[in-house]
Amino acid sequence: MLQMTDVCKVFRTELVETHALKNLSLTVNEGEFVTITGPSGCGKTTFLNIAGLLETMTSGEYLLDGVDVSQLSDYQRAKLRNQKIGFIFQSFNLMPDLNLFDNIDVPLRYRGMKASERKQRIDRALESVGLLARKKHLPAQLSGGQQQRVAIARALVGDPLFLLADEPTGNLDSNTAKGVMELLQEINQAGTTIIMVTHDQELANQSPRNIHILDGSISDAGAALRNQPTSAVDAVA
Amino acid sequence: MEIGPILRAMTRNKLGVVLIALQIAFTMTVMINAIFIINERNRMMARPSGADEANLFHFTSIGFGEDYNERIVVADDLAMIRQLPGVVNASTTNAIPVSGSGSSTGVRLEFDESQPSVGVAIYRTDDQLINTLNLDLLAGEGFTESDMRYRSESGATLADKTVVSRAAAENLFPDMPLNQIVGETVFLPGGVEVQIIGIVETLQAPWPQSSLIERSMIVPEMFVDTFSLYVVRTEPGERDRVMAEIEDLLLTENSNRVLRSLRSLEDTREETYRIDSAMSTVLWIIIITLVFITCMGIVGLAVFGINRRRKQIGTRRALGATRPEILRHFMVENLLITSVGVLVGAALTIGFSIVLTTNFNMPTMAWYYTPLGMLALMLIGQIAVLGPSSGAAKIEPAIATRSV
Repeated sequence: MLQMTDVCKVFRTELVETHALKNLSLTVNEGEFVTITGPSGCGKTTFLNIAGLLETMTSGEYLLDGVDVSQLSDYQRAKLRNQKIGFIFQSFNLMPDLNLFDNIDVPLRYRGMKASERKQRIDRALESVGLLARKKHLPAQLSGGQQQRVAIARALVGDPLFLLADEPTGNLDSNTAKGVMELLQEINQAGTTIIMVTHDQELANQSPRNIHILDGSISDAGAALRNQPTSAVDAVA
Repeated sequence: MEIGPILRAMTRNKLGVVLIALQIAFTMTVMINAIFIINERNRMMARPSGADEANLFHFTSIGFGEDYNERIVVADDLAMIRQLPGVVNASTTNAIPVSGSGSSTGVRLEFDESQPSVGVAIYRTDDQLINTLNLDLLAGEGFTESDMRYRSESGATLADKTVVSRAAAENLFPDMPLNQIVGETVFLPGGVEVQIIGIVETLQAPWPQSSLIERSMIVPEMFVDTFSLYVVRTEPGERDRVMAEIEDLLLTENSNRVLRSLRSLEDTREETYRIDSAMSTVLWIIIITLVFITCMGIVGLAVFGINRRRKQIGTRRALGATRPEILRHFMVENLLITSVGVLVGAALTIGFSIVLTTNFNMPTMAWYYTPLGMLALMLIGQIAVLGPSSGAAKIEPAIATRSV
């Protein structure tokens, strides 16, 4: 489903050249729950941005659902993001001026879906995170945990191929974080693939497969097969 | 289209939207009414006087000395001028169209002076003015030398024939065809009876702002004193040359006089309409300034909104918005703000126009000014916001995962 081979990302300025990812190779199969850990500046977010088609790689190969994304235009990448990837951000990234319904509606509108189908999907997504009754509320009227649930509903509403979660519990207290993690696990058990970047090793340990990145390369993929016999072996650069 | 969510989001940030919408409304009100005033001025300035202005010039002669006989001097002058190479004809008259100076009188259909009269400008001239001004004679005929009357004192008109402008004829005899009006008799103050012998298409009164601008009459009558106003028509392209020579020729002919105000009718027109022309320029400057300030306001609000929502834009991009969709989002947002502005502006424009019509005797504004103004402001708004919106569309989706 997600296959990266020798992916490199170099940030260049006039004075400095930073190798954020170095020959990173990784395969994630359908239904996996993968956590990505590593110290600050190790390349976790860069990996997530490239995996989510938010940034382009400098070299290497990335096949997303069999499609070589390196040749896609900005327009095609946007359409692919919209149809195949669900994003969950650390600071939720909800539109403060839109109510919950309109927030979750954002990716569906870009898909050009009919209003009746959008409404059905939004109501179902809100119900799945227990916030259907509050669909006319603004994000500011919710707690942090509830806002992240809305963000999860927004990520799920388009039935994506996989979820990319960037520190989804980073802005939450431990109890709330636990609740969000349980929700993600439920989603995964229902069949959705999840790739989650986190600082929290305790959370990472709860996932079947943990990949550790250090200095732009995968340093530890050993846990990958621990609970997930179907996943492929990750190539360590 | 995201009109619903954009509208709902805008209602949560009312102040900036309301201020820009009001700015657009006021700009539209001033812009449309100012353009209407400019167009009215231009229309007024473009009205034909009826005379062949490009080839006409005029001057005054003030005689002095005990033996100065104006009747003889004028006859000699006109005979000499008419023989000059390049001159078509010349006349003496009491007034010149578009000059701002002349006489008016009241014309009645009845002898009874208690009956209402029609106001007209009156040109007291020699028998050649119709040809000198190159007026378009629609019906009847012009004057002959035998029609001329001479007077040395103020008082009732002596002439018994007149040629009137079409507007004057139609005003006096609204239900009669022009060729039947010729031969009709009208009455001037003092019960003077004059017969209409001809009708010219156009001969404007000398006063551009006057309500009787298109109504005038010519009578073959010359006031004999020391002051004469001459008007000369030349062949095309000969005007300036004849003007340069005529002063010396006339003073050689008779030096007991002062020649003044030698100028072309085009210059006279320009002088007469100078204030109107200046007002049009000032109004254009006001319009351009207001539109510029409004554009800056629109751009400012758009740039502020985009900078405030950079992360939101990045998030939208991450969620699948293409660059054209981001561009469209901000264009639609601006269109909605501008629409509110132009709707309020339409009401203000119509209200302001009614005030102008009621209190300042202005003509009623044509219906199409307001919709055209609305369309123009919406277009200006879209052009103004195009730059900031294009900038927003270039925001990278990766900004969504950055912490600041």
